[in-house]
Amino acid sequence: MLTSALILQNLHTLSGFDGEAGDDTPLFSSGALDSIAMINLIAFVEEQADIEIRADEVTLENFDTAARISRFAIERAA
Amino acid sequence: MNPLATTLFELFADNLPARADKPFLIDPDRSWTYAQVAGEVDRVAAFLALRGVAPGDRVVVQLRKGMREVAAMLAAAQVGAVFVNVSTAWTVDQLAYVIDDSGARALLIEPAAARALDAPDDIVILASDQWDGLADSLTGRAAPIVPRLDTDLAAIIYTSGSTGKPKGVMLSHRNILAGARSVARYLGLAEDDRLLSLLPYSFDYGLNQLTTMMLMGGTIVHQPVAMPTEIVRVMRDYGVTGLAAVPPLWIQLIRLLEQAPVSLPALRRITNSGGRIPTSILEKIPDLLPGTRIFLMYGLTEAFRSTYLPPDKYAAKMGSIGQAIPGAEIHVIKHGVGIAGPGEQGELVHRGPLVSLGYWNRPEATAEKIRPCPELSHLIGDEPVVYSGDIVRVDADGDLWFVGRNDALIKSSGFRISPEDVEDLVHRSGMATDVVAFGAADELLGQSVHVAATLLPGATRDALMAHCRQAMPAYMVPRAIHIWPEPMPRTASGKLARPDIVQACLHVPDTVRACAAQPPAST
Repeated sequence: MLTSALILQNLHTLSGFDGEAGDDTPLFSSGALDSIAMINLIAFVEEQADIEIRADEVTLENFDTAARISRFAIERAA
Repeated sequence: MNPLATTLFELFADNLPARADKPFLIDPDRSWTYAQVAGEVDRVAAFLALRGVAPGDRVVVQLRKGMREVAAMLAAAQVGAVFVNVSTAWTVDQLAYVIDDSGARALLIEPAAARALDAPDDIVILASDQWDGLADSLTGRAAPIVPRLDTDLAAIIYTSGSTGKPKGVMLSHRNILAGARSVARYLGLAEDDRLLSLLPYSFDYGLNQLTTMMLMGGTIVHQPVAMPTEIVRVMRDYGVTGLAAVPPLWIQLIRLLEQAPVSLPALRRITNSGGRIPTSILEKIPDLLPGTRIFLMYGLTEAFRSTYLPPDKYAAKMGSIGQAIPGAEIHVIKHGVGIAGPGEQGELVHRGPLVSLGYWNRPEATAEKIRPCPELSHLIGDEPVVYSGDIVRVDADGDLWFVGRNDALIKSSGFRISPEDVEDLVHRSGMATDVVAFGAADELLGQSVHVAATLLPGATRDALMAHCRQAMPAYMVPRAIHIWPEPMPRTASGKLARPDIVQACLHVPDTVRACAAQPPAST
């Protein structure tokens, strides 16, 4: 299962982000992560959760925090 | 509009008498009128003047896209200084390099960078979280407006060249204003336009969006989050009239619009620059954005902007970069021979008021890039032109088609193969997202064609190779397809980081990156 902890653990490798981040830290709307990090993160979620993410599913609602990404991935994989 | 401005600061400030209360910048959390931005600019300019920043000094700006980034550049302009905008995608090491190379006197940066930098004590630093404190300490001190000539240096744009350290391209006030006037003219921009600013202001094409809106008295909508769904939402919600993007972003956006069509009736025009959009994507745009005019453009930082294809030619000439923009002269040169005619190709050279002042502190590199052109001496004497390093083809109507970088063309068994042509045919397969074609040394052929590709789900290298064999002439079929296991790295401007990708493919052993050699195509 893709937990928010696992996402946060991999955040640095995926994006070069080296600040403090918790489950509810905004990642994209805050500017912490850029478009390249977004592409890497999507690939990581697809691989970990074994899902294919459609372009229209990549929204702030689904991707702005580690908690939201985890919730989205679990719901989609179900 | 503001026809009388001769400097960057005037381009902004001339809006104040007539448009003080008009929205100039729209950030995600609030909008800023021209007068409100002027207030911020003045406070920062007063700070810079008080701390001894003098005309001609370099002020490095590295701020997240938003009002403060714009105000920082304009504050430098107000005190007659030169702004050096660095992308927020650049690392602290790269920022430190620019500070050192440009001999910066002041830094207007984010708090995190201010903490991480080990800057010399004599450099003035204002972090963005200190702006709110400025009002109190500087109450009542209006900053001077330092006059400048239009030939004076206004900005330095650092370009991440394919080799070596980044070089700073020097732009005069005249370069920047001529670029704004030319682009506003051919795009038909007006006072009621609202352009979406997605590309960094550290990129000439992104900066030009801002300067055209200052020229026309229009509005900029800032989009700091480069998430396609967010871009589309903001365009719809704010009635954006113009969008500028680069090819990798167009591929993402068009894919999104295909899956989830959105009506954008306010969108008058879109523009592309920074590379060629694959034909398979270009073909889809008119149906997905009906009523939107499509401009394909070409420019290089050393000459700001150079050519565009008018939208009425789009259907017939999809992929062409068209002809010279207003107020610039473009020639295609066959070295040692003369000017290329219809059906011929050569190097694109640029003449006119957009020709930059060259590279900061690099007279030799400048003399190599901007120099008199013997093939044009009968027309313009020894006036220097910018040598683009790009090879283009001239068609029967005089429209230009990008062939490739002079140093990137693949020379294989007597053929000169354009990497972009190979990439276009690979994209046609519908199997790959990111594609880079390049030449690798080959004992028999001189060079052989290699392709690096990030595959879409379900695609395989064998299937892609089968497509190439079917779709390409034999000399173009790749000798090897390197499967890139993830999205490819991008430059700060959002373009694919070609040199990094090519280096990785050439230097990593085949077994590691799973680029098992395919037998050469034999027909």
